[in-house]
Amino acid sequence: MNKVISIHLHGAAFQLEEAGYEALRAYLDQAARQLAANPDQAEILADIEQAIGEKFRALLNAGRNVVLAAEVKAVIAEMGPVDDGSASASDQKSGAAPGAAQQAAQTGPASSGPPKRLYRIYDGAVISGICTGLAAYLGADVVLIRLAAVVLGCLSGGAVAIVYLVARFIIPVARTPEEKAAAAGPSPTAQEFIRMAHEGYYEGLKSIHDREARREWKRKFHRRMRDWKRDFHWEMRGHFGAWRHRWDPPPGSCPSQVGSFLVLPILSTLKAFLVFVLWFAILSLIATRAICGVSLPAGLPIWAGVLLLLLAYHVVVAPIKAMRRALCCRSMCGPYCWHPFAEFRHGLIALGMLVLAVWLADRFAPGFHRTLLALPAFLHHAAESVRQWWTGR
Amino acid sequence: MSLDEKFSALRKGLLEFLLLKIIAADKVYVADILRQLNATEFATQEGTLYPLLSKMRREGLLDYEWQESAAGPPRKYYTLTAKGREQLREISDYWHKINGTVKGLGL
Repeated sequence: MNKVISIHLHGAAFQLEEAGYEALRAYLDQAARQLAANPDQAEILADIEQAIGEKFRALLNAGRNVVLAAEVKAVIAEMGPVDDGSASASDQKSGAAPGAAQQAAQTGPASSGPPKRLYRIYDGAVISGICTGLAAYLGADVVLIRLAAVVLGCLSGGAVAIVYLVARFIIPVARTPEEKAAAAGPSPTAQEFIRMAHEGYYEGLKSIHDREARREWKRKFHRRMRDWKRDFHWEMRGHFGAWRHRWDPPPGSCPSQVGSFLVLPILSTLKAFLVFVLWFAILSLIATRAICGVSLPAGLPIWAGVLLLLLAYHVVVAPIKAMRRALCCRSMCGPYCWHPFAEFRHGLIALGMLVLAVWLADRFAPGFHRTLLALPAFLHHAAESVRQWWTGR
Repeated sequence: MSLDEKFSALRKGLLEFLLLKIIAADKVYVADILRQLNATEFATQEGTLYPLLSKMRREGLLDYEWQESAAGPPRKYYTLTAKGREQLREISDYWHKINGTVKGLGL
């Protein structure tokens, strides 16, 4: 079993085995370097990509849609090294081709780290999407991540809960399709986009002294970037489609608009009410160690009680959320939902959790408590030194 | 320099001439050109052909037009320009002249 990477060659999509993809990329990089001084570099590369694409297409049929690594290497050998006319005549012989391709694979630039980002992902989240985001980032199963978090949380005696709360604030939420796709790392197209951008940039640097050439380069570069950007967005949207497919109910279950107009406000009100109950319960727990007369079991710290409350809240709210997601289909909310009130509420919850985090740290970490107490004096001192610096200037 | 290398240098010099001849005969695309060349000792690969065709186009010897193909994306079909035709005639004349010289001189 081998990993498959999808690429597109001059507009046509292909799936290659990973080793084949590396070989092809090395070949195209090498070709681009060979043609670096050629004014028609972009066009020749496009021709070559198209020729490779035609050869791939000849290998595939309805029952077979992956190009094997050996086949990619054979096609590269068949293409022969790209030579700008400057190479010696003997290089034209086909015998040199596989060796050259291999050499190119070795000397090719190290693949730049993909601009993967850690996001929180609300689709399929239990609490705040940290585990789902981490799972997408690491390419791991979200269940395993959650299990690891719970186990670590028990072992570390709550330290993980603090880390979780901090992560809740510093990790942004993936909202747009592009961000959701970036959470799981870029696609080959995105990597290709970056490679082309780099190349175009260096090409531009070379013609910096020639005004006419510079203008020509600029025009070409912009056009190419625009095309690639369009492809990139298109593909990211495709990825997002796959995401929706995983988390959302199938589009067939979309209820009538009238029904959702009636039910959605009820659900939203219910959820708002539950949020209110949650905050009341948390405050009551912190203030009196009891909720409506039911006190916390002895030996259980308050932070554990708060965490349990949060968990209970999310368990209760999960079906409501799922129903809302199901009701909120494409026809009503566009490609992705955006509720101003939901955003506002998320903001409130976030603020509340920040206060809670500070409070927990203040209560359970004596060092933090001392720092907090020393803070006014420190601020005063800092302000004083700034004032002195200003007046003494 | 081995014999093989000498032959290779000779072929390389003549490749452009042959391309002009092939394209003059008919509107062709790269796979056609390769098929015709590969039947001879001038067997060439895409990696060499594309840069050469692009150079010849830059020199104004040939031009191309896009044509739909039954399978896959449209293809570039190459044709000679007036300048290309003129150059083909000149090279052809010159080739016949040196051919005569080679035959006529010495052994």
